[in-house]
Amino acid sequence: MDWGRVRAVMGKDVREALSNPQIVMPLIVVPLVIVVGYPIIYLLALRLTPGAASGLGGFIGDFPRSALPSFALANTARRAAYVGVVYLFAGFFLLVPVMVSTVIAANSLAGEKERRTLEGLLYTPLSDAELVVAKIGSSFLPALGFTWICFAIYTAIIAVFGAPLMGRVFFPTLNWWALMLLLLPATSLLVISIVVMVSAKARGFQEANAIGGAIVLPLIGVVAAQASGLMVLSTTVIVVAAAVFALADVVMLRVIVRSFRRARVVSYLS
Amino acid sequence: MSSDPVRADIGDSLAIEVKGLTRSFGAVSALDGVDLEIARGTVFGLLGPNGAGKTTTVRILNGVLEATAVECLRVLGHDLPRDAAAVRPLVGVQTDTSLYDRMSALDNLVLFGRLYGATRGAARGKAEALLAMFGLTDRAGDRAGTFSKGMRQKLLLARALVGDPELVYLDEPTAGLDPEASHELMVHIRTMSERDHTTFFIASHRLDEMEEVCSQVAVLVDGRIRECGSPAEVARRAVPRVLVRVAPAPDAMVRPEVLRGLPGVVDTSVQQDGSVLLEAAGSSDVPRIVKAVAALPVDLLGVGEEPPTLAEAYLTLVGATDMVRGGGS
Ligand SMILES: Nc1ncnc2c1ncn2[C@@H]1O[C@H](COP(=O)(O)OP(=O)(O)O)[C@@H](O)[C@H]1O
Ligand SMILES: [Mg+2]
Repeated sequence: MDWGRVRAVMGKDVREALSNPQIVMPLIVVPLVIVVGYPIIYLLALRLTPGAASGLGGFIGDFPRSALPSFALANTARRAAYVGVVYLFAGFFLLVPVMVSTVIAANSLAGEKERRTLEGLLYTPLSDAELVVAKIGSSFLPALGFTWICFAIYTAIIAVFGAPLMGRVFFPTLNWWALMLLLLPATSLLVISIVVMVSAKARGFQEANAIGGAIVLPLIGVVAAQASGLMVLSTTVIVVAAAVFALADVVMLRVIVRSFRRARVVSYLS
Repeated sequence: MSSDPVRADIGDSLAIEVKGLTRSFGAVSALDGVDLEIARGTVFGLLGPNGAGKTTTVRILNGVLEATAVECLRVLGHDLPRDAAAVRPLVGVQTDTSLYDRMSALDNLVLFGRLYGATRGAARGKAEALLAMFGLTDRAGDRAGTFSKGMRQKLLLARALVGDPELVYLDEPTAGLDPEASHELMVHIRTMSERDHTTFFIASHRLDEMEEVCSQVAVLVDGRIRECGSPAEVARRAVPRVLVRVAPAPDAMVRPEVLRGLPGVVDTSVQQDGSVLLEAAGSSDVPRIVKAVAALPVDLLGVGEEPPTLAEAYLTLVGATDMVRGGGS
């Protein structure tokens, strides 16, 4: 494995993706809604309209009190704010790296096929393994970086709009750190591996994006649905879950690197 | 296949050795038993109509596509597809692929230079030299997507050379180039071949260019090599007809009946420029015919054998004989 070549391809991929409005636009719009829009509206509503929290009903009312710190139990608005910020949005947050990864990964290999640039790479000394690793890396690193930026923005928004309500800075919790630093990277890598594998067979970006999404979304749906529950559990559980995904990543990467053959990719080219 | 009987180190001197190469796509047979032997330093031309299997051959020779069956496939002394990784650093390829449109011309070349193992600085130096060679220095910083077809083609050619290859594959290299750029490319090819002993494998159907630049050609039709050798040899073998051209002076008249009556002449045809082509019974008749024509009481600009061209040979082999010169008149 020649890392210089891997880096060269990754650098190229990232620069290309960032200069493509088709990729950049969804990356700006979707997180803007999930990471900025929802929490601001939610927290402002709780602060400005005192009755809002009682209207939120079951989920918050039934939320186990043991999962909330004592400062969040003081009134309904605080409870609603804490449950929303710490538990409810965790599921949404998982969608950010998944979406980013799927879009970038589908663009990088299947998109190169569609734009007829891939064959040029296949003639160079770049090995099959280097190509696959570069393609996975050039989706994984931006997705991770992007997710962490979103996390920082979310944290800042909670500090600005949530802290006055709560009387203190209460975010991020330890579980969120574990989610961001361990579980999200591990799940993103799995998603990207699947999309890259699909991309090797797909004819173009749209197809790879669609098929990749169809495989990945149910998986993520399950994880996202469980995310709120997951965040209630102990940090250990999150760490273990991340370890399980990491193991799946290793298996998946080995399978892809071993099964990828450039000669098979070209058979699909016109 | 012409082969040199006294070549001891044949394994080392061959850039490409192929025996019994077959490839099919489903029911379509693209290559049907191709044999090739190309010595190092040769400028080799693979000629053939669209769909003959040229690009498929280039792909298989680079281990980018698998053969359906092959007896021997050696490139620069390495067996393919097993040792493809050892061959790739030594080879540059231009095919009908695209550039990275969102990157500048320079960055496109630097990327490929780095893939061939150069440091960023070295790749940049090489890229700039190639841009200068292809007359693209002014546009080095512009996105490749803004280039005209001819400029893209030049950039693809430059990209094939960025790794200082020993063996260069060019698949229809002059497609989209204007005549002066095509000519310059032929000059570059010849220079690199003579100065650096670079081997060229050119797939094309630009017959005049191939005749000018290639030391060896093969004609591929429907997945099979029909002829192989130097352009002159191929032309001779494919076009057995022997022609003598008689060019009268501007005001002079030669009567075709007179020429047809000369011994050894089988047929005559008057060309548009006023000259007359005589078909000789055999090449041994040529000196006799030339002497007899020169003895006629007519002012002549010239008389001499008209060797068959590669274009005639190609058209004969491809089966478009009706279009071959002199065929209809
Ligand atoms: N990936 C492919 N899938 C199916 N058929 C192909 C593929 N590549 C080439 N062919 C077929 O193989 C034959 C030779 O094609 P090609 O090598 O591209 O010819 P050339 O380059 O001489 O024009 C054609 O009939 C073409 O349709
Ligand atoms: Mg072709």
